[in-house]
Amino acid sequence: MGSQAMKSFEHLEGLSEAIFKRLYQQPATALAVFRRMLPNLAKTFVMAMLFNPDPVPVSSLEACVHPDQNRLKEEAFAKLRQLYIVIERQGTFALDATFKVELRKALTGGGAPGSFGLPCDTEDKNRVDIAFLDRYAAEQWESILHFMVGNETQSSRRPSEGVVRLLLHGKLMEQNRASGTVITQLGFSFLLQEVNSQVWTLLLLYLDMAEQLRMDPVDILHFLFLLGSLELGQDYDMKSLTPTQKGMLEDLRDYGIVYQRKSSSRRFYPTRLATGLTSEIRSLRSPAATLANATPGNDENGFLIIETNYRMYAYTNSPLQIAVLNLFARLISRFPNLVTARITRESIRQAISKGITAEQIIDYMTANAHPQLRKNTPILPPTVVDQIRLWQIEGERMKATSGYLFKEFAANMEFNAVCKYADDIGVLVWVDKNKGMLFVSKHEQIADYIRKRAQSNR
Amino acid sequence: MDKVDGTEHYNFKAPADLATLQVIILDTNPLAWATFEKSSSLSFPSALSQLLIFANAHLAFSQSNRCAVIANHIDGVHFLSPADPGTDHRDPGEADLTLEDLKEIAQKNASKYRVFRLLEDEVRASYRRLIANTTPEAVMASPNASYLAGALSAALTYINRICFGGMGGRSGGVPGEEKSNVNSAGGKVDETGRTMHAKILVVSVTPDPANQYIPVMNSIFAAQRLKVPIDVCKLRDSTVFLQQAADATGGVYMEPEHPQGLLQYLMVGFLPDHLARQSLILPTKVDVDFRAACFCHKKVLDIGFVCSVCLSIFCEPPEGAVCSTCQVKLDVASLENLGKPVVLPPKKKKKKKAIDSLPGSGVASAADSPARTE
Repeated sequence: MGSQAMKSFEHLEGLSEAIFKRLYQQPATALAVFRRMLPNLAKTFVMAMLFNPDPVPVSSLEACVHPDQNRLKEEAFAKLRQLYIVIERQGTFALDATFKVELRKALTGGGAPGSFGLPCDTEDKNRVDIAFLDRYAAEQWESILHFMVGNETQSSRRPSEGVVRLLLHGKLMEQNRASGTVITQLGFSFLLQEVNSQVWTLLLLYLDMAEQLRMDPVDILHFLFLLGSLELGQDYDMKSLTPTQKGMLEDLRDYGIVYQRKSSSRRFYPTRLATGLTSEIRSLRSPAATLANATPGNDENGFLIIETNYRMYAYTNSPLQIAVLNLFARLISRFPNLVTARITRESIRQAISKGITAEQIIDYMTANAHPQLRKNTPILPPTVVDQIRLWQIEGERMKATSGYLFKEFAANMEFNAVCKYADDIGVLVWVDKNKGMLFVSKHEQIADYIRKRAQSNR
Repeated sequence: MDKVDGTEHYNFKAPADLATLQVIILDTNPLAWATFEKSSSLSFPSALSQLLIFANAHLAFSQSNRCAVIANHIDGVHFLSPADPGTDHRDPGEADLTLEDLKEIAQKNASKYRVFRLLEDEVRASYRRLIANTTPEAVMASPNASYLAGALSAALTYINRICFGGMGGRSGGVPGEEKSNVNSAGGKVDETGRTMHAKILVVSVTPDPANQYIPVMNSIFAAQRLKVPIDVCKLRDSTVFLQQAADATGGVYMEPEHPQGLLQYLMVGFLPDHLARQSLILPTKVDVDFRAACFCHKKVLDIGFVCSVCLSIFCEPPEGAVCSTCQVKLDVASLENLGKPVVLPPKKKKKKKAIDSLPGSGVASAADSPARTE
């Protein structure tokens, strides 16, 4: 669950330093980046340095960590450097000045008004409540998913042109001359993700497209992180938004992330999809969640039962869920409130060939397991789970790892030391002690280490 | 075949996934704080602000992190946040604000993250209510009052409710049965049945309440069992109980030398959560004062008498030779032999035996009353 959302954030790590520097100018963004993109140890380091005016020597930070937790420490340092949060200078770490100031503002509340959303001070004549917002969000989101799967019932409208363009741009669907827009492999794996990651995937595609439309990506990210910190059920004023952000509102309305009564209205309401942007709590449980079940933490709306003889019973009549099941199981019969299916070798191999992984299937089944099934430990029968994985690796006969080969070391001692260092930081993939060769996945740190050793030996 | 090995189903997820509940126990004895302010120039409002920033930092780590604040006051224990549902929520400080002022406050509130703001407002409002209900006579009557045991018990029961669903260390089911990764409500639990980690921070300016030795020790053992670390930030007056509390539960004990920099001490020493503490070496006191207090007079002592059945400690043999805790008859007769050598030197049959036996009788007379070396 959390790992899928992290993957969406990893996309953000590839941004340039200039963008990061501008990103950190808002306290809401600094807080969101801190909260979601840093590993635990890195967060601790940042907090320790936050209220310290001077740069901190690296050695004192390293001294705080247990000697056998080197890997976590290196991971934390690497992440901090990658996100341009720390500046390394002459063996000391200093927090980036903007980031420091803004995070402090976030903690002490000293930011500009509206940095965490400006609530409307006048009453809304057509006030909406949280139930309405949930319904609205579910409706909008489902219309997109229904459209992707290709069945449009009369209750769901076709999503707007902007949405269709986005799906085409992100290769989740493609234009087929014969049958209009059809779903692709990527689209299938998108369907199986849980709602938070689906939202983020779409938003990242939006970010990509925005650069073509000459919208400022930093503004977009600011707005997204701001949305993540808003309160559900509170209306917010549009006064404090930039023109780019105001333009975004219309698109976000189509996705069901915010609600605006009409385009000209001055206020907007964030829905549960918005407030869940920067949290690990699930927003909507599943695409077709009913109102009562749309509250976080309520897992009563699972509908799947898996038996050890590979039969599946799904207590649902939503065309979307049945279409998703059809992706990886063979449907046998359909009743007014029940669908029976079987998981077979062919059906799983078909799914794998479409690009869906066994993990996605298993996560999907676990997430939608019937409450009756949840009482089991473990939830899904291990035979079925293992067999799905086995069917997947039937197709993977060989595994390729790209990396760097280090050979022809001067001395055996040096070879052993480098081996041990590579093992410590966790990049070692293969080693042959007889021939003196080692294979690692990342070479920069090893190269630095060898250089440092050479210098210290000299 | 390792890749398809199904045993990973049976292993629970790493405790990294769980959020943390931070309970802060804050001494609010006004006289103690006033005395402290004179010596250190750290006033209570400033300390409270720094503590609230620390709480915000804790909440910033994750959306599911939570925080509770308990006031250890002169007349008992009060929850500052979350406030008691039955209390009057009007803030005494806001009673006479005009509409303009309220609008201004609403504007200022817009610049603070809602979660942080709610905690801060609630704590400050509850504290103002608490002080409004305290009379100066009550403060003067008990200069060093501290309900540490009550505060620890309140904190632990709150943790029990929030993190363990009331089960608290007692896990149901047959031993040896595989523990589920998910409880019946679908929430994630680890193998001890907890839904969140918890830790307690005690900020104290009052000395040890010696008459609460037994309840405090019991709370420490309960926390130990629940694996809840008790961190201690002792601003004034060294203490015996709290050192042992931090040591027994794996918490951090600090006596800041420069209290004006309280925030930095809090951030470095007390902020890391359960997962980070496994990797970090935190500054804590290593030479712990392991003295106990006797059960009869609540005096702190180094050497004393211990009941052989229930191990309760006394500074002198109890009256009637009956242990007050387990009501067992103690054999006091053997106490007379205390101090006497086991094997007496042979009595020399000489005229000088009166002089020789003097050392022996000197030892015997010392054993008449129980030896108490302090």
